[in-house]
Amino acid sequence: MIRLAWRNLFQNTTQIALGVGGVALALLLMLAIDALLAGSEDDLVAYIEDSGADIFVSQEGVKNMHMASSAITRSDLRLAAQAEGVATVSPILYTTSVVETKEGDVLSYIIGFDPMEPLGGPREIVDGTLEIHNKEIIIDQAVARSQEVALGDVVEIFGEEFTVVGITAGLTNIVNSVSFITLRDFQDLRGDDRNVISYVLVKILPDYSAKSVAAEITARNPDVLALSEAEFSRGERQIIRDMSVEVLNIMNVSGFLIGLAVTALTLYSNTLHKRSEYGVLKAIGAKNIHLYTVVVAQAFISLMIGTVVAIGFILLLGQLLPALVPGVAVTLTASGLLRVFAASLIIGGLSALVPAFQIARLDPAEVFRG
Amino acid sequence: MNMQSVVSVEKVVRRFGSGTTEVVAVKDISLEVVPGEVVLIMGPSGSGKTTLLSMLGGLLRPSEGRIQIGEDDLTLMDESQLPNIRLQHIGFIFQDFNLLSALTTLDNVALVAQLTGISRKESRKKAKVLLEQLGLGQRLDFLPHKLSGGEKQRVAIARALVNKPDMILADEPTANLDSHHGRETMRLLREVAKQEKRSVVIVSHDERIKEIADRVLWLEDGEFKDMVEMAVDPVCGMSIDILHAPATADFEGTKYYFCANGCRHEFLAAPNSFLQVDHE
Repeated sequence: MIRLAWRNLFQNTTQIALGVGGVALALLLMLAIDALLAGSEDDLVAYIEDSGADIFVSQEGVKNMHMASSAITRSDLRLAAQAEGVATVSPILYTTSVVETKEGDVLSYIIGFDPMEPLGGPREIVDGTLEIHNKEIIIDQAVARSQEVALGDVVEIFGEEFTVVGITAGLTNIVNSVSFITLRDFQDLRGDDRNVISYVLVKILPDYSAKSVAAEITARNPDVLALSEAEFSRGERQIIRDMSVEVLNIMNVSGFLIGLAVTALTLYSNTLHKRSEYGVLKAIGAKNIHLYTVVVAQAFISLMIGTVVAIGFILLLGQLLPALVPGVAVTLTASGLLRVFAASLIIGGLSALVPAFQIARLDPAEVFRG
Repeated sequence: MNMQSVVSVEKVVRRFGSGTTEVVAVKDISLEVVPGEVVLIMGPSGSGKTTLLSMLGGLLRPSEGRIQIGEDDLTLMDESQLPNIRLQHIGFIFQDFNLLSALTTLDNVALVAQLTGISRKESRKKAKVLLEQLGLGQRLDFLPHKLSGGEKQRVAIARALVNKPDMILADEPTANLDSHHGRETMRLLREVAKQEKRSVVIVSHDERIKEIADRVLWLEDGEFKDMVEMAVDPVCGMSIDILHAPATADFEGTKYYFCANGCRHEFLAAPNSFLQVDHE
């Protein structure tokens, strides 16, 4: 019966192409948004995860960086440094702003860091230098390419000019980029009290656990919240997920409904087209369960092919898109795949209902009536 | 039931509708068919042939009476038991061949064997042997649309035989075949009956089938009647009881019989066109 299902499906290549194409498109809707978000998450947390810090210390109640504001003091930094197991503490200032270039404006996280401290600045560069001085800036490669900015060019932040001295890689995402200036320049730009900082990046001593040291820092100073890098990164990812959950749901529901409609329509028309043949099989002695097997197998074969096509397309997109659109990354996640497989199973089951009903009602005596 | 009979039909009645709209398609029919016997049922359109055939095939239940195939009384069985009876005890041959268009010759026959629960390998082996016996060894991997009408009907016969049924039911088996392939099909059906001792019941308008039938029954108005001399309407091809022909005409010394005046008028307007077609 599986063979019959397979042959029935592939008998009409146009029909199978349209059916599988429709299913693939629908599943692609579900997979693509998830893969794009997962890719964005990786890029958005790249600074945190590549910073080299074991612990992030922020203002009490602040669990991430994206769309957050944290203000703590130098005395908070000193208190953190006194906690057992802490090796180094590095302050950073942070805000979201615009980097103005000749080609246009680019939204960017601006990180102000102290070049004398071990953490806070970029870990690696692809061009130029990590040794940054006042009125100098390090920008990301994707911004440099898209805005045609080279080493030695001048860009503006808050109306002040900065000379590009270094280029990083992998710190641009679908929303923005990360740019680095000195802590002193940052304080001058904002006219802030030099006592105020945004976050403290902590390196711990070997043989200490980030979680326990973070708990110690928080316990010593109720005005701050210290989280291990893993917790802080998770918080950042969660914010992005929470912000995109509605879009994700809409795409999932749309994909599911389109997939269901396409598969159901393909199966329905195929069953209608083969009605007389199913009648012959029934007359000869096939039971309804045999014929249901054909219909359900047809549904699942087309869905599985559609799923493979959709996954293949996403993988291709993952290779092509970052090269075409800087800052866009596509990451296929296990949860996204599971959701698509689950949706395929449900679609297969539901879309086979109407054809199964058609078959159940088919009178085998019709074969003698022409 | 005669101890020798494969099929026993006792006082079967089939009604459709009820009250003033009731139609009795089959009236009090009885029939016994023994192994190896070829029974041809003829009759005008609407005489109840298809209804009788459907009941013999376990596809339609009689309103009254009893139909027995071997030891199995079809009228006492529930719906879930009938597919197995059809699969194991009855082979069907249809006017339009009704092969599964997506499957090859071999798969069309093997599938029916596989429905009984035997393995795919075994069913394909059985199907191959049968198809080779019927001269289709070179056509095993052909799809139905690549076969001639005669080849299609031989595949249909192989499909009907693959589960070694007690009875073959054939509905107009030569209707879509030219005279050569029609004769070949008739010869095959007779061989099946005589060599393998299977009962063959054929419903047809084709006069040629009389040549291979052991018994010819005339069904009219739902009842078996005495066999009458029949002629074929040259215009529409219908079998006509010459004693009750609604219209007749003489042409070049031959008398022709028609199902209605319409056919007669059409014939007389251009007799040679119908006779030429007939001669082909």
